[in-house]
Amino acid sequence: MLSRITKFAVSAVLLVTLGVITAAAFTKTVTIRVEGMKCAKCSASVSKALKATEGVEEAQVSSDKGEAVIKYDDQKLDEAKLREVINSTGFKAVAEKGQ
Amino acid sequence: MVLAAVMIAFAPAGVLRQETRAPQFEFKDLNGRTVRLSDYEGKVVLINFWATWCPPCRAEMPDLVRLQREHAKDGLQIIGVTYPPENKARVRKFARSLKVNYPIILGTRETKARFSSEETLPLTVVINRDGKVSEIISGILLREEFDEKIKPLLMKNLEGEKRNAKSNH
Repeated sequence: MLSRITKFAVSAVLLVTLGVITAAAFTKTVTIRVEGMKCAKCSASVSKALKATEGVEEAQVSSDKGEAVIKYDDQKLDEAKLREVINSTGFKAVAEKGQ
Repeated sequence: MVLAAVMIAFAPAGVLRQETRAPQFEFKDLNGRTVRLSDYEGKVVLINFWATWCPPCRAEMPDLVRLQREHAKDGLQIIGVTYPPENKARVRKFARSLKVNYPIILGTRETKARFSSEETLPLTVVINRDGKVSEIISGILLREEFDEKIKPLLMKNLEGEKRNAKSNH
């Protein structure tokens, strides 16, 4: 009985670990430089549009640094799509540094 | 109780809550016509605060023009209110280039502060058919937000009209 419980517990732990590893493998972080984002009043739209995009898990936009740090699921979208979303807010995504 | 009433009366400008009656205003638009919020009673009004120097404001305006064109028949009325510093000639040129199909008025900081204390631009105040503030949308107006927060307000009238049409027959 005890060994059956142990086997079950080990299997459960393995499954959860595998799930976490798989999810982490799909999550990417990218920093995209955003040109023209000088107005702090306006930069909220970039963050809003990114967060509303399916596959974006986190988006931190800084008008001071002129960049957006985005955590996303690369199975659902790619960097080109992220740049497209930024451009749709009236700013210009100019380059990105993969992490 | 008295204290609560005093606090409400002296609440800071721009702290409008949902279902609060929208503050009335009267301005001249770019064409010199008087625009009063009360003129649009019974319509769903979007007051869009924007500026020519604000990239997201410029980016969302073609969508607002499209929404005004497509939903005017449903009772949608957009009013554009600029945020300073602004230049009338530049605003007029920009509005013409986009063929803006709703009134644009030159606002002040105070105009915006009467509706919201938020610093964000663009900012859209949604007023329902009863003249009450229904939503304050910060940043660019997303399609999903229009579908979720504004379309139901427009549909309300259509449902009412259908009911009236049935009862008249």
